[in-house]
Amino acid sequence: MRLGFFFREAIRSIRSNVAISIAAVVTVMIAVFILGTFIPSYLYVQSTVNQEKSRLDIQVYVADSATTPQVSALQGAIANLQTQGQVKTFSFISKAQALSKLKSELSDQTILTLLPNNPLPASFDVIPVDPAHDAQIAAALHGNGAIDTTMPGQGIDYAATTTNRLLSVAKFIQYTGFVLILILLIAAVLLIGNTIRLSIFARRREVEVMRLVGATNWFIRWPFVIEGIICGVAGAIVSVFALYLAKLFIVQPWIDSNSNQLTKDTASTISFGALALILVLAGGLVGAFGSGVTLRRFLKV
Amino acid sequence: MSTDSDAELSSAEPSRSSRRPARDTERRIDRRSLLRAGDGPMVTFEGVTKRYGTDVLGLDDVSVTIDAGEFVFLVGASGSGKSTFIRLLIKELDATKGTVIVGGRDLGKLRRTKVPYLRRGIGCVFQDYKLLPGRSVYENVAYALEVTGDAPRAIRRKVPEILSLTGLSDKSDRLPNELSGGEQQRVSIARAFVNHPRLLIADEPTGNLDPDTSIGIMQLLYRINRTGTTVVMATHDRDMVDKMQMRVIALEDGRIVRDERKASYATVEQ
Repeated sequence: MRLGFFFREAIRSIRSNVAISIAAVVTVMIAVFILGTFIPSYLYVQSTVNQEKSRLDIQVYVADSATTPQVSALQGAIANLQTQGQVKTFSFISKAQALSKLKSELSDQTILTLLPNNPLPASFDVIPVDPAHDAQIAAALHGNGAIDTTMPGQGIDYAATTTNRLLSVAKFIQYTGFVLILILLIAAVLLIGNTIRLSIFARRREVEVMRLVGATNWFIRWPFVIEGIICGVAGAIVSVFALYLAKLFIVQPWIDSNSNQLTKDTASTISFGALALILVLAGGLVGAFGSGVTLRRFLKV
Repeated sequence: MSTDSDAELSSAEPSRSSRRPARDTERRIDRRSLLRAGDGPMVTFEGVTKRYGTDVLGLDDVSVTIDAGEFVFLVGASGSGKSTFIRLLIKELDATKGTVIVGGRDLGKLRRTKVPYLRRGIGCVFQDYKLLPGRSVYENVAYALEVTGDAPRAIRRKVPEILSLTGLSDKSDRLPNELSGGEQQRVSIARAFVNHPRLLIADEPTGNLDPDTSIGIMQLLYRINRTGTTVVMATHDRDMVDKMQMRVIALEDGRIVRDERKASYATVEQ
């Protein structure tokens, strides 16, 4: 019921303080733009790290010449390690499965038609409980007759040093990314709060008069809060539009020209629609919060 | 007596406004403004002292009673405590010692969140008008009604009424800075009175105006007082006080040095 009045007041105030309102919109725009480039990048890196982490398993290659009893003996040895608590899970990948997995990772599949036969070995995919124990597991399986010693790592392949490094990098990226996003958000709130403080300071006489005629604090505050939301959402929409243009004309061409010709990039990031929604909500929230908090000082007495 | 004066003031309003809606309005405003209706005094100060910091004394042990319907001049030199007195009435300040009671409410016990409701029952007029810049005369007056949550229809009815009463009907779309000082003060009075408060406070309302304009403002305040509204007016304006012959409370260094009915600005002996 009072909403119409508050909206009219907010619009009036934006129109009578055009310069300050534009300053607020631009501030939100810049902050949201930075946030909008950072969030998808961060999620992309995160997703890549997770993917690499899932590759920290041990490949035990089975020789094409191995007999069925030899293979089941190898399987038994791995199952034994599982009961000892060193192996989390393991699975057998046949030659055919290995080929179809390769197929799914290739963008240009014509290359496969050139193969005379399936060159890929069957293997056990062993996932350790802790990637740091890869070496112990490898030692335990070493010398098993079914293993194809011509393959990398004498048939037991794992990334020994990269394992630990990758894990620490992943942690580092997670923490710094989180802290950076936090700092960005705080900076945005402070900047917007400051801009709104300017706007309120310019009108503190008006606020004083409002109090004298008996306006309650919330009655005075609502128009300012709505003004903050309008400025915040406007800034966010402008920067979402800019982000969309950037995605269309800079990021997409860059991905297209730099992506590996042979393999697809399967790391995922946030969809643009979800990102836009989050950014617009964040813009409105930051605007409302900035003005609501800033006004407190002027509403005493 | 108030019924008679009401009728007199109503005659200046458009005939459409009968007495019944006016009484409705009054009852509702009383509830919203916290001021209690009744025959008791409108303002009571009991041993009120106001200190600023540790050594600046605004008011020093002031006790006084102002009855409902009175017209009171508050006189004294600058720094004598007039403004402190006024600011205590609307709880812009709190007394350091003593009790301030307005409309039956002990302001010392009034919660801060209730202050806006107190002020809705008190009209305020200031030397510097305190109008909202960038808003027309109409919007300035309407704001006081928006604040109390009046319906748009009631606002559209009341604002033209009060503007015609204060002689501003043809200025309603003007901005404050397009008006003369006297006209701005009339807008300020229109805004203060549009809610028909039971107490109207004026702090040097004629301070910036020439004598002729001041007379018009005084007549307006007098007519408002005749409707039963208590008027407390702080002033330096010797001629005006002498002409009106109303109750005069004289302050000096924060103390009441004289309180006389039907009095002049200065004592008779001088």
